[in-house]
Amino acid sequence: MKRRSVLMGLGAAAVIAAAPLTASAAEWPAKPITMICPWSAGGGTDLLLRKLAASLAKETKQTVTVANTTGGGGAIGHAAIMRAPADGYTIGMITFELNSLPPQGLIPFTWKDFDPIMRINMDAPALTVKADSPINSIKDFTDYAKAHPDDVTIGNSGPGSVWHIAAAMMADELGIKAKYVPFDGAAPAVTALVGGHLTAVSVSVAEVRSQVAAGNLKMVGVMGEKRSDLFPDVPTFEEQGVKASFGTWRGIALPKGVPAATRAKIVKALKAAYDDPEFQEFAKNAGLSLAYQNDKDFTAFLDKNAKDVHRVMLSLGLAKK
Amino acid sequence: MDFALLLHSFGNVFAPDVMLVIAFGVAIGITIGALPGLTATMGVALLVPLTFGRPPLESLAMLLGLFCGAMYGGSISAILVRTPGTPAAAATVLEGYPLAQKGQAGRALAMALFASFCGGLSGALIMTFMSPLISTVALEFSTVEYFALAVFGLSVIVSISGNSIVKGLMAGLFGLLLSTVGADAISGFPRYIFGQMDLFEGPPFIPTLIGLFAVSEVLANVQITKQIVRVKTVVDRYFPSWADIKAAWVTIARGSVIGTFIGAIPGAGGDIAAFVSYGETKRTSKHPEKFGTGVIEGVAASECANNACSGGAMIPLLSLGVPGDAVTAVLLGAFVLQGLQPGPLLYKEHIDVVYNVFASLIVANFAMLIIGMLGIRLFAKVIMVKRAILMPAILVLSIVGSYAMRGDTFDVYVMLTFGVVGYFMQKHGFPLSPILLALILGPMAEANLRRSLVISGGDFSIIFSRPIAVGLLILAVLSLIASVYNHRKIQKRLALTDGAGGE
Repeated sequence: MKRRSVLMGLGAAAVIAAAPLTASAAEWPAKPITMICPWSAGGGTDLLLRKLAASLAKETKQTVTVANTTGGGGAIGHAAIMRAPADGYTIGMITFELNSLPPQGLIPFTWKDFDPIMRINMDAPALTVKADSPINSIKDFTDYAKAHPDDVTIGNSGPGSVWHIAAAMMADELGIKAKYVPFDGAAPAVTALVGGHLTAVSVSVAEVRSQVAAGNLKMVGVMGEKRSDLFPDVPTFEEQGVKASFGTWRGIALPKGVPAATRAKIVKALKAAYDDPEFQEFAKNAGLSLAYQNDKDFTAFLDKNAKDVHRVMLSLGLAKK
Repeated sequence: MDFALLLHSFGNVFAPDVMLVIAFGVAIGITIGALPGLTATMGVALLVPLTFGRPPLESLAMLLGLFCGAMYGGSISAILVRTPGTPAAAATVLEGYPLAQKGQAGRALAMALFASFCGGLSGALIMTFMSPLISTVALEFSTVEYFALAVFGLSVIVSISGNSIVKGLMAGLFGLLLSTVGADAISGFPRYIFGQMDLFEGPPFIPTLIGLFAVSEVLANVQITKQIVRVKTVVDRYFPSWADIKAAWVTIARGSVIGTFIGAIPGAGGDIAAFVSYGETKRTSKHPEKFGTGVIEGVAASECANNACSGGAMIPLLSLGVPGDAVTAVLLGAFVLQGLQPGPLLYKEHIDVVYNVFASLIVANFAMLIIGMLGIRLFAKVIMVKRAILMPAILVLSIVGSYAMRGDTFDVYVMLTFGVVGYFMQKHGFPLSPILLALILGPMAEANLRRSLVISGGDFSIIFSRPIAVGLLILAVLSLIASVYNHRKIQKRLALTDGAGGE
């Protein structure tokens, strides 16, 4: 009697254990999908992912929920994506910090521990000053910095953040000395510049665009491969004779080991979600420059980006090893 | 100020569908605010996806209603079960809970609602009529002024120290020490985290808050084995009595101004405003010795300031594109989703949206008053629940609330640890609020002092180089001296009454 109930229990356990297997073996997506966002709800990354999730839900006819697993400057969320079950029902958003945290010795894993699916956007920083400043070009800025070596302050979005690295790269390339003032995010740095408490900021075009359009700030140069679609009049650094190009990126990745058939379906569904006119329009409104790359190109890009970031951080003393 | 447009905007807001979403937002807001661990910030973030594809007015009106409701909702649990539902209600615990213990929960709830309404409405009106002016003042705030403001805020510690200044300062310093845990704001170096990445951004604030206040109280209650004589609670009112309003109107007026102004400064929110307003009220009160035992003005002070903050925080969001606090940071995202970029351009291109926001926030405050009044009797029932049922329920809510913030069990352990810490501190007469104040203001003071020093190249004289900063620092010193003097007076008076009682 007792033995039988044990057997029955084992049988029940086997059925329960097999349930997820049958779910994943069935046509993906057979159940709701979770997307992990390593940044908090309501922020830029979160909004982008939520919009993409809405389009993915429409595409797959499944519920897609966004889970914000935050903390550790993105470390916690990226770790959660890496450790998620590789059944195709947990998809993650990865961001630039995946390449800037490892050199600082803050996370024990790299992009190589993920399965990259697609790059979504790529945003370049701009050197932005007050509208009434006498600085109008990169050359003006260099001259000003050389004439006032102790007075140049460049605001950024946080210590070791993407725009901190951008400012340091910039100064390195221009051969000038500057003080990097880290703020808690880009918005307070931009406000401090509007209030006239800084010389410049090195944050993204999207983050200064409202103040630039309102005539409070002006962009001196865009530190990207090409001019910004939002401000086609502002020349790049390269056009002004300075070889410096940099940017932050966001993309989608899976934990390693998702079955090939499922993975192919996910790739297709996500591309369709990306192409959804609603998503495209949202990105345009938010001032994000979409820069799609498929999984192969994104992988190659991540490899190069990780090496570049590591090299720069090392030369700036921001990297541990 | 375009009055015709403002009237037109009120016309837009008075449409049945918009009124309905405002009421929905307020009701959800009060509920979220009252539940520990679910904050206004989280509520707005959770509702933002609901606004996909809805017209801008409807979406923003609902979110503003929620913002309003949550700021008030936090006071309900603060008064009834000593758990601030949101950080902004932490100062409400100081007077609200003692009032509830005396059986005057209804009186405290009615005052909290009334003060919230007055503060919220004043904040919304100041926003409507003075946004451009106030935003220019906010722009004058450089890192030096932020540092000075944080120091001024910290000077309130004496006022919330309870009977012993020394113990209050010890608690405050403990809080400041805790606030150094986590990534250094300037160099990014992880301090005191011992390889625990969960601590990278400092001790998680909400779980700390819940642990210190709610769990410590649960632990203290568990110890009481004898039959408790239940305090008879009378909830006979929806509106404060005339005597209470007369006692509190100066406080409410002052709190509204303090709240709106602190809200308008980007990075300073309702939690700071509530503490500063409470501190000022106690300092200027005729009977400061009664504070801490359930003084109705104390409830009014914090509740009116934190609701005034919501109007204030919208000012830099709308006119500068810079969120005034954590909630408006999420609201910024909601605007962007609608294809609207808050900031100077919004005034130029979408002035109708700006006026709709003004009208919605004003209407949302009235909705909060009405829904709040309908709910008071219901909320107060919590206090009638048997302790044996209430305490475990609070513990469960505390655990869920801590976990919900970022879905991390680590936060639950933090919450439980602080519950034990809070229990022992209270047992030995240490006040808990100074820890909270230090956790809120410590990072602000440190990061901005260090930023100032980066700008000046390590020269400390930069702190005294700007008039607003110097003014705030002088205020901080004066308020400190006045509070200590006040404290002596209180001690003397208390000694006198004790002596009289002994004979």
